[in-house]
Amino acid sequence: MNLKSSSNAIGNEKVFRSISYTLVFLMMACGVLTLGNLIQNAAQGGHSGIIAAVLLFIVIDRLYTYQGLKSLTPLSSAWVMAHAAQWIVIGLLIRFLLSYVNGLDSFRTDLSLFARGYLENFFAPEFVFTLLLALLVWVLTAQFLTLLDEIGLDAELALRENPAPRLEQGEIVPAHQRLVNLIFSMGIVLVILTALTRINLRAIVSSSAGIPKVEVYPFSGGEAGALLYFVFGLALLSLSRLMSLQTHWNRLRIPVSSDNLTRQWGIYSLLFLLILAVIVSLLPAGDSLGFFSVVGTLFGFLIHVLVFLSQLIVVLALLLFSLPFLLFGKAPPFINRSAPPPLPTLPTQPPYSFDSSALLALLRSIFLWGSLFAILVFAFIHFARQHDGILAALRRSRITNWLLLAWQWLYRSADQTRASLSRAIADGWQNIVARLEGKRSLPRPGWISLRSLDPRRQIYFFYLAMIRRGGEQGLTRKPSQTPSEYAVQLEKALPSAGEDIDSITEAFVQARYSRQEVDSRKSDLVKATWGRIRRAFQDKSKSERSANK
Amino acid sequence: MLGTILPLLVVLLLIAAFLRGDFALTLIYLVVGGLVAGLWWSKRALAQVGIKRRFNTHAFLGERIKIDLHVQNKGWLPLLWLELRETLPVALVGPNNFQSVIHLGPRADAKFEYSVEARKRGYYPIGPLSISTGDILGLREALQVDAQADHLVVYPKIIPFTSIEIPSYSPQGTLRHSLPLFEDPTQVFGKRGYISGDSLRRIDWKASASTGQLQVKLFEPSIALETCVILNLNSEDYYYRSRVDSTELAIVIAASISNWIVDKRQMVGMAVNGRDPLTMDGRPQPVPARKGKRHLMRLLETLARVEITGNSALIPLIQEQRYQLAWGTTLIVITGRAGDELLDELYQARRWGQNAVLILAGRDASDESIRRRAKILGIRVFFIVTERDLNIWMQELKRA
Repeated sequence: MNLKSSSNAIGNEKVFRSISYTLVFLMMACGVLTLGNLIQNAAQGGHSGIIAAVLLFIVIDRLYTYQGLKSLTPLSSAWVMAHAAQWIVIGLLIRFLLSYVNGLDSFRTDLSLFARGYLENFFAPEFVFTLLLALLVWVLTAQFLTLLDEIGLDAELALRENPAPRLEQGEIVPAHQRLVNLIFSMGIVLVILTALTRINLRAIVSSSAGIPKVEVYPFSGGEAGALLYFVFGLALLSLSRLMSLQTHWNRLRIPVSSDNLTRQWGIYSLLFLLILAVIVSLLPAGDSLGFFSVVGTLFGFLIHVLVFLSQLIVVLALLLFSLPFLLFGKAPPFINRSAPPPLPTLPTQPPYSFDSSALLALLRSIFLWGSLFAILVFAFIHFARQHDGILAALRRSRITNWLLLAWQWLYRSADQTRASLSRAIADGWQNIVARLEGKRSLPRPGWISLRSLDPRRQIYFFYLAMIRRGGEQGLTRKPSQTPSEYAVQLEKALPSAGEDIDSITEAFVQARYSRQEVDSRKSDLVKATWGRIRRAFQDKSKSERSANK
Repeated sequence: MLGTILPLLVVLLLIAAFLRGDFALTLIYLVVGGLVAGLWWSKRALAQVGIKRRFNTHAFLGERIKIDLHVQNKGWLPLLWLELRETLPVALVGPNNFQSVIHLGPRADAKFEYSVEARKRGYYPIGPLSISTGDILGLREALQVDAQADHLVVYPKIIPFTSIEIPSYSPQGTLRHSLPLFEDPTQVFGKRGYISGDSLRRIDWKASASTGQLQVKLFEPSIALETCVILNLNSEDYYYRSRVDSTELAIVIAASISNWIVDKRQMVGMAVNGRDPLTMDGRPQPVPARKGKRHLMRLLETLARVEITGNSALIPLIQEQRYQLAWGTTLIVITGRAGDELLDELYQARRWGQNAVLILAGRDASDESIRRRAKILGIRVFFIVTERDLNIWMQELKRA
């Protein structure tokens, strides 16, 4: 069983690797797109397109060389040689590409200056900046790939015991969680960068006096990058989730019984993301671009960059072929004739039209601030739960106690109101039903007319009157007492009316619980009995009053 | 994971609020939607999982029990992965528990079959089955529920005895006579033709009239002719080095004697002072004397469940039982160690008219002294150190 699951993972490794590498490339491309937009926004003369292309080239290079470089021992001579060689090539490529952007003449001039040893000319600020960005992209790509290896792409590394770093509490942070952290952390940076692309930074920098005026662009190409970055990020998370689960199952030797788990996972992941994307595109966000047109924007840019890179490689190859001609002092046949490849351009700003009503704006504002408030409350509750000391301090605080009391009062009041309302509604409903049925189950408010009651209900009335009068005299009937038990209690207090109490109780029990016919003669008898009991009550109360005096 | 997403959401909301960045709103939908939808999906799907486990809940020692596990997705949401881990007692399976990972589509089901081996008597939980799944993105920890456990009873080992030497006025002794010594006229178990010498009081006139021949009633032996097996599982009454083996041997003896008595169509009851996991207070319920195979299974079930315990003295249990048993009942006391107090109690039982047999299971240092004292008091004692010693009750068949 274990062999089966292991072989399953190994069989899928190539597929997993190619898909995950593609997703990492796409995510990095989105990041590069956003970065390029920011550079374009911030620097007028900056070559954002070529920088973006160079960065993408670095990503491709890292993806391609990662496996080879990984096998080298860190800081060994082979490792140093490989990295140094790679970075020298990257540095030269960046420098000459930046020269090439300014035209072929500028490129030749820079080449000759470099050949003569003018290195200060070589390290231009734009080059250094691009080199730093390249380093950042290199490291981030490597970070993704390392985590993916740890999650399951590298079976040997993934199955090794305890490969992950520990938290402060001593818990192991799973590689998948670290990938989530990396994706979302990079996402936060990307969102901030995207927000910056929408601000006219040049206007802010150029304003000489007073508070700089903030101009907001309606849309920038960076938004597409940020949005798609998260889409590809979620896809990568889904894939890495499957890989981490397979690693977990392999580690615990749990066999996978379903042969089609991986295939089904892929299908359902795509469905999940597609449905999510459709729903997100349908929800009111006010974007000037639809979700799918954003996808088109990114892929258009990517194709542009790839075409440029391939053309560049062709040009370089031609240059190499031309070198022998230059040695013999002849003009190279290709360079002068071949047209330079067109530079990649970042997505342009589409026409923007935003017409939303004031109500929609208000709703959106309420939603945003409400969500922010809810998130803050949620975060605070979680934080307080994790730190017991804060909860204890809050309980001790007087203000908290007042707030709690106020809350309890509010809660009680609301509860009472709710109970009263529900009772009133229930009574009202019963009345309506009774009216519809042609009989009244509840007595009308006001005086009861004895003549309107039937003999059975008259007996109820007299018996209930006895209970009421008994309650007034301090002989309250307990809910648990049966009529006969209550009769015994009453007889003790009113020994003179013992027989009458028995008689009225018996009449009530018969009227209430038997199906015997109750005629008016019997109700008259009960009425007379009740009269005697009432007088006994009156005598008792009189004697008590006189005794008190 | 929320620790990472929350800052992102705050940043997005701030951007959406201050910079009128509509893309931020889209991103909020995407991130929150992914998180919420993933969680909802996994929770909802897990709630729709149904588990059925089918197996024979009772087994004899050495038997292989096949367990069928049926996992069903009752809902329309697919379960991307479902990790099943059955918790099984080591005594039945060793270290290899059943565990598997499956994918369940909408309204799909999966069937598993595994087996356990009844290697040791006992009352074992089969399960709970731990089921876990999670969201597709892995943003939250896996959700886990435990399906209810079922129980398996493994009966103790039964050694087929052919004869047990129990004093003559015990119920076993009655078997050697054509007519029982004690009969209960209220318990008629059959009829036969009249034989000269039969009491006229025994004639069943109605049956005689209907058959045309004189029929006499056959009565059950008297209620006093019953056996009560008293098993001592108090840990202090067993030699500490061989406590586990000795108590298991005592249980085997109790089960085998009960089986033999039921085979002889006699009544047998049982009282144990061990621990029963099924009762509220942990004390096994005494089983009143009955006969028949069904009753034997009840006895065996009790013996399968009981476990050794401490601070549960034997003497009060014997006293409690002795006062409830009728005259002539045979008390078979199985214990690890006997002292003067126990012998005195059994002697009291003899004086009450009850028959007492003492079986000492396992090693005991005071063999000879006990034997001598028991002989003086007229109590039959058997010393069973290992299962091989039980051959003394299997030899008659061989001789025959």
